[in-house]
Amino acid sequence: MTAMMALARFRLAGYAASHRALQPLIALLALLAVLYAGSIPAGQEIAATADSAAMLVPVLAWAARGLLDTEPDEQRSVAISALGPKELAGGLVAAFASLLVLAAIGEGALLLRLAGSPTLTVLLAGVWLHLLSATAGLALGALTSRPILPSPAVSTIALILGYLSMLVLSMAGARWLTVPVMGWMRDAHHGVLLSGLPLITVQSLLWPAIGLAAYTWLRRTRP
Amino acid sequence: MTMRIASLSFRYGRRAPWILSDAGLVLDAGDVVEVTGPNGTGKSTLLRLVAGLLRPTRGSVEDRPRIVGYAPERFPSDQPFTVAAYLRHMAAVRRVSTESIGRWSERLGMDHLLGQRLPDLSKGSAHKVGLAQALLAEPGLLVLDEPFAGLDAATRAELPRIIGEISARGGIVVASDHQGDLRYFPGLRRCEVRDRALRELDPVDPIEDAAEPALTVLEVAVAASKAQDLADRLRAEGCTVNITARATREVAG
Repeated sequence: MTAMMALARFRLAGYAASHRALQPLIALLALLAVLYAGSIPAGQEIAATADSAAMLVPVLAWAARGLLDTEPDEQRSVAISALGPKELAGGLVAAFASLLVLAAIGEGALLLRLAGSPTLTVLLAGVWLHLLSATAGLALGALTSRPILPSPAVSTIALILGYLSMLVLSMAGARWLTVPVMGWMRDAHHGVLLSGLPLITVQSLLWPAIGLAAYTWLRRTRP
Repeated sequence: MTMRIASLSFRYGRRAPWILSDAGLVLDAGDVVEVTGPNGTGKSTLLRLVAGLLRPTRGSVEDRPRIVGYAPERFPSDQPFTVAAYLRHMAAVRRVSTESIGRWSERLGMDHLLGQRLPDLSKGSAHKVGLAQALLAEPGLLVLDEPFAGLDAATRAELPRIIGEISARGGIVVASDHQGDLRYFPGLRRCEVRDRALRELDPVDPIEDAAEPALTVLEVAVAASKAQDLADRLRAEGCTVNITARATREVAG
């Protein structure tokens, strides 16, 4: 195991043992209870998957921020003294792993509530959309974590506004200006998501990539 | 290997005041450096820059040894691990065998703490955990922020020996030390951080110091507003200072 993976494991262990992991989990379960109060009719699988992926983004961002903020600041200094710049990657890997667990719970709940059985293509597209959702959540969570935004109030507002801006901009059709979460839902409901998946993937990864690059750059002076 | 701190300046933000300005220091293999200075002048900031935890605003820290150990002034004990689990994780992060945990816990007198949870530790015990994680990987550069604070007598005596061993194998040790436990360390280099500058002080001569030279009393008249500052500076130099309230203009004249 590399040093960076050992750090990711340490951070996951600390997160799992702290109360912080429970908060987004409870929010996720509440969201799932609302989303899947009734079963999903046959033929609606891909639309329901896109809705799930889009609505999970803020929960996943909250979880990513929670994981990155669990460790005391001085412990992060200790990690930097041991790993140098790779400390940052250790945090992001740990956060992404925790998001995969939450996204898998969301996806699992969705599958349990399907009336019909989805095709393999729909299933894989669903997994893919949840991965895009996790990437968006990771970037938003990282950019609102404590080294970047030390005030919890400012950070929470920034996280909520970040997600709202995704909704508003993508609702207005500006697919290149944000993660097009409304575009996922709209395309899925109109049955064009699968054919346009490569383009929507590029659009959905562009801003998280820029966000994570910005996070890396900002962390140089915010250890 | 020589590590160089060259024209280093630092401030925490664009509008923040400068903490250090144009500081320079050359650290040779085996050097043990004590960083002194009044509270709040930037000792911890300097140590963080040396350890690579902060990035200089200007200037550079060159040829820092690859393995850095850093023990913070206050160990962050608010973590959901036992001492043993925490040190095992740190050993894995440092890619060293878990055997080193046993060795260092024994030397630092913390064997009995291994099963305890970090939040339950006393300040001194938590401090030992901070020292242990810094020592796990045989650091080429060891940075210690107030390493003697809160330690029991046995560990206070052991720590200079550990520092001596690291120095003997060519490691560099930089420590801030208010308690003065390192003062008579053989070959100790002393640096002072004051008024944004880093200044190397003359080494303490243990013979002269140990002989307890005769004391003399010096009367100094100074503006009342500056008295406290001067007193602090003189105390930092090792003088005993009593401020009396006699405001006698005649003496100044």
